[in-house]
Amino acid sequence: MLAFYQLLLSLYPAGYRDEYQQEMLSVLVQLNEESSQQGWPARFLLAARETAGLLRGALQEHFYAFTGFDPLVAFPNRRIPMRSEFRFPKTTVTLMALILVAIIVAIEKAKAISESIPPSSTPVGPIRPEYVGVVPAFLIALGSACVMGLIGWAILFALGRSGIHRLSSVQPDANQTKPSTLGLK
Amino acid sequence: MPSSLLTEPVLLILLSLADQPRHGYAILQDTHKISGGRVRLSTGTLYGALRRLLEERWIERFEARDTSRGKQAYRLTATGRRNLQAEVSRMRQLSRVASGRLAQTES
Repeated sequence: MLAFYQLLLSLYPAGYRDEYQQEMLSVLVQLNEESSQQGWPARFLLAARETAGLLRGALQEHFYAFTGFDPLVAFPNRRIPMRSEFRFPKTTVTLMALILVAIIVAIEKAKAISESIPPSSTPVGPIRPEYVGVVPAFLIALGSACVMGLIGWAILFALGRSGIHRLSSVQPDANQTKPSTLGLK
Repeated sequence: MPSSLLTEPVLLILLSLADQPRHGYAILQDTHKISGGRVRLSTGTLYGALRRLLEERWIERFEARDTSRGKQAYRLTATGRRNLQAEVSRMRQLSRVASGRLAQTES
C-alpha cells in the first residue's frame, strides 16, 4: 500500500514533493500501522480516504503551481456560505444575458459572412482614409456612444430598482432605537 | 488567507496547534478527537492546508530537538493565534444569537 501512496505522491508538483513528500510519507506509514491493528474495514477506509485526498491534493497543487491561484480560496468547502448583501436583480441578469447572447450571435454572423466571401488571391490594400468621411465616422462614433450609454443606463436603472440604495434610508424600529431606561435613574 | 475563508479543516488544524506544537500525524489524531470523531482529515488535505497556512504565516515550523524532517512539528504564529481568536469570537457571537433566537421560538 505504501508503494501505491508513493506513486500518488509522485503526482504532486516537484517543488511540493521536495518540501512535503517525506513528511507525508511518514504520516502515511503511521496511519498504515494504526489501521493494520484495526482490521480490514479500517484499512479499506484509510486507503479510500487517502487515495481520494492525495489525488485531490495533487490536482489542487498543480492548479496552484500553474496559476498561482489557490482553488480552495476560490471554492472553499465545509463552511456555511456567507453571501454579501449585494444581489444582482433578475432584470440586470436578464439584460446581461441578452447582451452576451447578442455578442455571440454577432460573432457567429460575422464568421458566416467571412466564410461566404470567396477567398481572394489579391491582398487587401491599405485602407485609404479618403473613403471614410469625417461626418459618417462622427455619426458612427456618436451612435456607438449612445448605444453604450443606453446599455449603461439600463443596467443602472435595473440596479436602482433592486432597492439596495434605499436600505441606507430605512429607519430602524422605534422600539429598538429608543434607549432603554430600565434600571437607570 | 482572510478569516472569511477559514474552512472547517483549517479551523480544526489551527485549534489543534493552539495549545502546543504538533507534527502531521498528531494533528490528524487531534483534529479527529476535537471534532468528536466527525472529521477525519486525509494526509493530502492536511498538507495542502499546512502549505497555505505556512505561506500566510499563520503557522511556522517548530524545530524540536529530536525531530527529523519526516516528523516536522508546526506551531501557531502570533498572526495565526490572533486570527483564530477572531474566528472563535465570531463563532461565539453567532452561537449566542442562535441560542437566543431558538429560545425565543421554543418559549
